[in-house]
Amino acid sequence: MPDAPALHIDTLRYRYTPTGPWVVDIASLTLDPGQQLLLTGSSGRGKSTLLYLIAVLIEPSHGSITIHAQDIHALQGHKRDEFRGQRIGMIFQTFNLLHGFSAAENVMLAMMFSNIPRREHRPRACELLEHLGVDRPDAPPEQLSIGQQQRVAVARAVACKPDLVLADEPTASLDPENAAGAMDLIQTTCRESGAALLCVSHDPTMAERFERRASLDELHEKTSAEAQR
Amino acid sequence: MAITDFTIIRRSLRTRLFSTITTALTVAIAVGMLLVLLAMMDAGKQAFRRGSGDMHLLVTKEPSALVSVLNGIFYANAPAAPLTSAELARIQTDPRVAMAIPTQQGDGYKGLPVMATTTAFFTDFAPTPGEPWRFTQGRAFAAPFEVVLGAKAAEMTGLALSETIHLAHGRSDVGTHEHSDFDYTIVGILAPTGSAHDQAVFTDLTSAWTIHAHDRRMREDHDATTTPDDIAETDRLVTGVYVRAASRRGSSSSAALAPLAYQLRKEGYMIAEPTKEIDKLFTIVGNINTIFVSMAAVVMLSSAVSIMVALYNSMEQRRRQIAVLRVLGASRGRIFGLIVTESAVLGLLGAAAGVVLALLGGQIVATTLKAKLGILVTPTFPPVWVLLVVAIAVLLAAIAGLVPAVAAYRTSVAKNLRPVS
Repeated sequence: MPDAPALHIDTLRYRYTPTGPWVVDIASLTLDPGQQLLLTGSSGRGKSTLLYLIAVLIEPSHGSITIHAQDIHALQGHKRDEFRGQRIGMIFQTFNLLHGFSAAENVMLAMMFSNIPRREHRPRACELLEHLGVDRPDAPPEQLSIGQQQRVAVARAVACKPDLVLADEPTASLDPENAAGAMDLIQTTCRESGAALLCVSHDPTMAERFERRASLDELHEKTSAEAQR
Repeated sequence: MAITDFTIIRRSLRTRLFSTITTALTVAIAVGMLLVLLAMMDAGKQAFRRGSGDMHLLVTKEPSALVSVLNGIFYANAPAAPLTSAELARIQTDPRVAMAIPTQQGDGYKGLPVMATTTAFFTDFAPTPGEPWRFTQGRAFAAPFEVVLGAKAAEMTGLALSETIHLAHGRSDVGTHEHSDFDYTIVGILAPTGSAHDQAVFTDLTSAWTIHAHDRRMREDHDATTTPDDIAETDRLVTGVYVRAASRRGSSSSAALAPLAYQLRKEGYMIAEPTKEIDKLFTIVGNINTIFVSMAAVVMLSSAVSIMVALYNSMEQRRRQIAVLRVLGASRGRIFGLIVTESAVLGLLGAAAGVVLALLGGQIVATTLKAKLGILVTPTFPPVWVLLVVAIAVLLAAIAGLVPAVAAYRTSVAKNLRPVS
């Protein structure tokens, strides 16, 4: 469905315990294909939880999430994992690159669970890393600079040409100079690959980078107001 | 090359190299022990079959068949009750008897047993079926007071051809009476047979009877030297007869055996069928083997537990890796399978090392047994046993992997992706 939104959230609610407060409470949120959205919010407002809900890693208490018209929580078992592996890319604050694997292998790990032919994994990973400026694809991540590690993480997130990239505080552990470079890289790469980008951050300096911005606090208040009406 | 599940397993094992090696080593020791014990159980039985060779019956006057075999073939102790020359002649002339070789034990040389017999012992009897005696030096005795040394006896004493020795009455080094009046000349040294005969000293019956005639005559106050002519009927005693019943040419079994054994038993002799007695002995020893094999099985189980503990402990460090793999698209089932397979691979590595250990260990045990006891043991590892033990080790390891696999299956992705503070 080419015109379907990359992401659509409808009356999404989540809380950790059956009687606890809503950690995520969003009436509606849509992200078009290729669009980039910055979602801000103070710590503890459920930014990461929202990403895990979108990545089908946790179950919502209420509501639905669709990615390209596919209700992802309606998927069962390994189909969910397949969907996540092929259609969603994730970038983390601490990169979460795996030790014991080289930079290229970290990227290839993302392709392992996709239907990309095996023989294409390595050339594709190396090409992507080269494109992103990683000059030592066979080096283990711990031997690379923080900036290079960030590039490997971005390459891994877009390796399977996902529809949606979720970035969880991608610059929180970087100094301002590196942070700017990293965001340039993430946004450019997503634009080039045609993936929509949902970036959550509590860093106010990020706002100017995104044409579309939303505050999780505002989304929550909006939901409450609508509920009261 | 693309990353596969086995790449992940290999890297995981390599990342925790020390733990991998120590865990695999416990499996290797268990598998090695079990295989060596299984191989030795069979090889030991085969080794004990050596020595009785192609005889059907051992005829003695010992109190039990097993004792007569242990004394008469394995030189455990000197037999106590002798047979007379008339009794020997009766057996030798029985038409159902194809071979009846008299043996007499009781004398010794520096703790080694002396077997007095006839030259037929070297010509008609083979210590192992199809493997007749061979001399590495010299020949069989042909005249009184000539001796032949078993391979181990020659090695232990360092004696050479033409040297003379004095035999003693009794086997122990102390409290024995040496027959110093009679010089025995070494005329032959036998090739190793892998049987208890290797540690014996062989001489002819006439010499043994002459010495005992001399002892008798000394007790009767005869001062003159004793010759074979002085042997009395009461001196012509033997302690055992190696008997083979007549059989058809080329056949090792004999229809005459059962009636012959029955007849001799009825006449008051102790009739032992060496192969049956060895089987009986191994039934007794089998209980000890069961204990050893049980111990090895317990070690194998504990090695499986050590795999479980090692993998379970590693889960703490691997939760983030598991969470990342889940984010990348790995299903819970695949993660579960990865851990179980890793555990099985660990078991397989250990089992493979265990097979190598068993081959080396088997050779070491065989060499030690040969060097210390002169027993020739050839440990055999039937491929079916090896495969079975390896399969059990891998299966146990896979089962041991279930607990850490469940822990991995239940790993919370969200919790483990959070930045480490």
